Amino acid sequence: MTPSDLLSILPLLVLVVWACALLLVDLWLKRKGVTAFLAALGLALTAGLALAQAGEETTAFGGMVALDGFASFLNVLFPLSGLLGIAVAYGYLKRMNIERGEYYSLLLFSTAGMMLMAHAADLVVVFLALEFLSLPLYVLAAFARPRLDSEEAGLKYFLLGAFASAFVIYGIALIYGATGTTSLSGIVAAIEAGSLGTSGLLLTIGAALFLVGFGFKVAAVPFHMWTPDVYHGAPTPVTAFMAVGAKAAGFAALLRVFVTAFPALDADLTPVVWVLAALTMFVGNVVAIAQTNIKRMLAYSSIAHAGYILMAFVAFGNPATRADAVASALFYLVTYALTSYGAWAAVIALEKQDPSAGSGQAASGLEINDFAGLGRRRPALAAAMTVFMLSLTGMPPTLGLVGKFYLFRTVIEAGQVWLAVIGVLTSLISAYYYLRVVVVMYMREGAPETTREPWLDFTWAVSALATVILSFLPMALFAWASAAGVMGF
Amino acid sequence: MTFWNDPIRFAADWLRDLLTGWGLAAQMTDILLALLGALLLITFSLVLAIFLVWVERKVVARFQDRLGPNRLGPFGLVQPFADIIKLIIKEDITPAGADKFLYNLAPVLALASVLLLWAILPLASVIYGVDLNVALLYLVAAGALGTLAIIMGGWASNNKYALLGAFRMVATMISYEIPMVVSLLIPAILAGTMSVRGITEAQGNVWFFFLSPLAAVIFLISAVAELGRAPFDLNEAESEIIAGFHIEYSGMKFGLFYAGELLHAFTFGGFAALLFFGGYGGFFGLQNLPAFAWLNNPFVQAPVFMLKALIGYWVIMWIKYTMPRVRIDHMLAFNWKFLTPLALILLMTTAVLDRVLDGSNWYVPGLFLSNLLIAWATVEILRAHGRRQRKAEAARVGTGCAQAGAPTAQQ
Amino acid sequence: MTGAQILFLVCAGLILGSAVMVVTARNLMHAAFWLIAALFGVAVVYAILQAGFMAMIQVVIYIGAIAIMFIFADMLTRRDVRESRAQIGRNWPVAVLLGLLILAGLTALILAQPGVGRVAPALPSGLDPVAALGKALVSPDAYVLPFEVASVLLLSALVGAVYLAFLKKQ
Repeated sequence: MTPSDLLSILPLLVLVVWACALLLVDLWLKRKGVTAFLAALGLALTAGLALAQAGEETTAFGGMVALDGFASFLNVLFPLSGLLGIAVAYGYLKRMNIERGEYYSLLLFSTAGMMLMAHAADLVVVFLALEFLSLPLYVLAAFARPRLDSEEAGLKYFLLGAFASAFVIYGIALIYGATGTTSLSGIVAAIEAGSLGTSGLLLTIGAALFLVGFGFKVAAVPFHMWTPDVYHGAPTPVTAFMAVGAKAAGFAALLRVFVTAFPALDADLTPVVWVLAALTMFVGNVVAIAQTNIKRMLAYSSIAHAGYILMAFVAFGNPATRADAVASALFYLVTYALTSYGAWAAVIALEKQDPSAGSGQAASGLEINDFAGLGRRRPALAAAMTVFMLSLTGMPPTLGLVGKFYLFRTVIEAGQVWLAVIGVLTSLISAYYYLRVVVVMYMREGAPETTREPWLDFTWAVSALATVILSFLPMALFAWASAAGVMGF
Repeated sequence: MTFWNDPIRFAADWLRDLLTGWGLAAQMTDILLALLGALLLITFSLVLAIFLVWVERKVVARFQDRLGPNRLGPFGLVQPFADIIKLIIKEDITPAGADKFLYNLAPVLALASVLLLWAILPLASVIYGVDLNVALLYLVAAGALGTLAIIMGGWASNNKYALLGAFRMVATMISYEIPMVVSLLIPAILAGTMSVRGITEAQGNVWFFFLSPLAAVIFLISAVAELGRAPFDLNEAESEIIAGFHIEYSGMKFGLFYAGELLHAFTFGGFAALLFFGGYGGFFGLQNLPAFAWLNNPFVQAPVFMLKALIGYWVIMWIKYTMPRVRIDHMLAFNWKFLTPLALILLMTTAVLDRVLDGSNWYVPGLFLSNLLIAWATVEILRAHGRRQRKAEAARVGTGCAQAGAPTAQQ
Repeated sequence: MTGAQILFLVCAGLILGSAVMVVTARNLMHAAFWLIAALFGVAVVYAILQAGFMAMIQVVIYIGAIAIMFIFADMLTRRDVRESRAQIGRNWPVAVLLGLLILAGLTALILAQPGVGRVAPALPSGLDPVAALGKALVSPDAYVLPFEVASVLLLSALVGAVYLAFLKKQ
């Protein structure tokens, strides 16, 4: 093991060591706020180190992991989303009586798994990273136990996640069977050597199974069934972290594996992804209309956004637009991360424990109608929520518009005009339910009880400001995402 | 190669020549010989089990200041046969509501899991069933089958005491498997192989007991737990759950469990001898001198091994008939809070020292001293912990008295 | 047909039969025991393939730990495990059809692979597969990273399991 091997995954190493140390330190800390602060410090350090790595390109550990623009871009995104996950949870956990040190350690472990996913250049590492990011998330989803809906969310996520993992591992087994290697570069070499013969079909089936497994992780239709229940039952900060982090990590794996290893399979798989993307956008947006609970609505919105990102992904086999596709997907992930974190923060501000209910009961304040009167009671929060809803719809002056524009342009460039049309149409549908929240906030009378917590307010305020300001100055992010669109091994 | 140097292979070759001379295919002969070898090994170990019944009864009697069986034959040596006849003519009961198939399979599996161990037990450098390169894992795997047999028996009996016994057994086995595996890894590290024969051969000059006495102790403790013998015999705690998992078994089915247990104890004595006390060899380098070359003869090695195994067995009996039974939570706490961390620390120390001191004169004393140091530190920590607990308990009892006393004073 | 092939066929029959029993057994405990039989068959197949380490690990982990934990959990469930509803739902013909189709497809694919039916070459003498595996697991150019990641992964799973199972003392 050379020092350069370790250096190339330094942010990840720091985070894992930090998480283990935090686990120990937490034993002696009476005030869990200190744990939260330490966890945030670790994530900030990690993000800083990852930022310092930008521009480096290398592989390490015998080709197991790669450090390139793609990895370092995501390695900044994941710790930042972890940071926001801590910021929104800090007051929430206290309020809901579930303040435990394990939240922060598990969140750090999960973030480390996501970062490993961004690095992975070998299917073995992809699988391990998938489990590494998922297992803490299963526990986090059930973190509010013995609240029944949280336990249900944890169990459901765990069972279906294990089922999806089985698809992934079966896919990997078939890919290995067809090519005789698990390393992405090795798979490319095996395909290019052209000696696959009938193994080619095996490879395609393996790739398809892989797609199914990760389709589950990113909540693409028809593998989305778990999403509303899990997003609804899990403690809201966990939901926010899951919606952003797990989805981004799932797409990281899909992008990395399909774009680098499977471009040769595009003739077989592009139609599949096309249908997946169209279905996901359509079902996600249409079913969201019927939701009355804000958490379920945002869950379906998250499904719909998985569809938009999948749309970029349809062009994975086209060498001309491949880099653009990855860049636009990454850009859209950032957009979605910012916006959705803000929206979830607003939800958390309204959520409260039902005083009349026992400890096994769900929280209240989560219906869309509970937002009534927010415009009068908390004008700033309502304005921020409006920004998030506009951004999720893709309307100016928000980052959502830029993200969608970039995405649709890439899709059209790749020749999938009809898909872009579906995307635009479903975005129109989505305006209905996103704007309904705005209407309820401003046009209906009501007296919502909200919580003022400094870190929570900070989160939605910063997200809202960033969503608006970045929409006018997207070029830096744009350039960075473009740089990340080129993957080395 | 003569009969005196390698009796088993000599006999096998003779038999093979004979059989092929009769016109049997070579492949068939090999299969037949392998089966014959397995049969011999099993017969030997089962006959040994009969003898062990006598040993156990004699030794327990001595520990309890009794005479033990002394009526049948010299020193009561024929007593086990009387036992067997009694077991065979007893009514063979399958309780109503029992799961017949599993109920009857359990005792067979229990004995089989022990007999499996004999496949990797080398009686001498040339007398062994098979020299597996994963023998230590095989040892653990066979133990897992033993657990399975007990669960099967406990569940299939359709008896709550049996089920409780099975529960306790599983809790024990799952927990104590960890220190056992770790303590097995230490000889593997020291010898650089997982083959039992390889480990034994590596102890030609110095027993691993002197390199890692703590590992031997941990192995012994976890072996006793794995055997389910006192002080860890919660699975059949007579005073609580009558006979635990084998409560419903009568006649020879009980006999199989019983024989399996005795043989298991002896086998673990044998493994302790093989892994830590030089096994069939280990005469401290003496066997390498030309004048003592006769020590390498299988007819010397096999009795030496049996003697060491019997001593190991005797120690296990000694523990069994001396120690009172441990409560289940104490037993699990002892494993998770004490034995497992200790074993892991020991493993790390041994692994590092084995590498650092490799080839130096300090190899043996260094490892031995490191073990002593760890043992001393452990004892000190335990002592401090015990003192703290006693103090807390004293304070609690003290305040309790004060509170109880206070109202009286007011009245 | 060689001895190994006969042994393999017997084992394969055992594995498949047990697997069918696992899903059809009405009694939960029987299903668990049939699962053990299936897992044991797999261990034997590993042994036939000269993968002694895998065989042992299969027995130690899958039978010694996982299956026994299944049984343990079965015994701890309050529901009466002796009798339960039918294990087969209404849609079984569809499931059987799909299963058979997948089976046929995979079989066809595997039969079309080059090298099917070739006798496995014997391991080179002097090769210690266990030592080679051990070295590969800790070699920086091979699998040290996945190996270490697996250990951290298990640590986080352990923490999570303890968190979920731990009841706060009132």
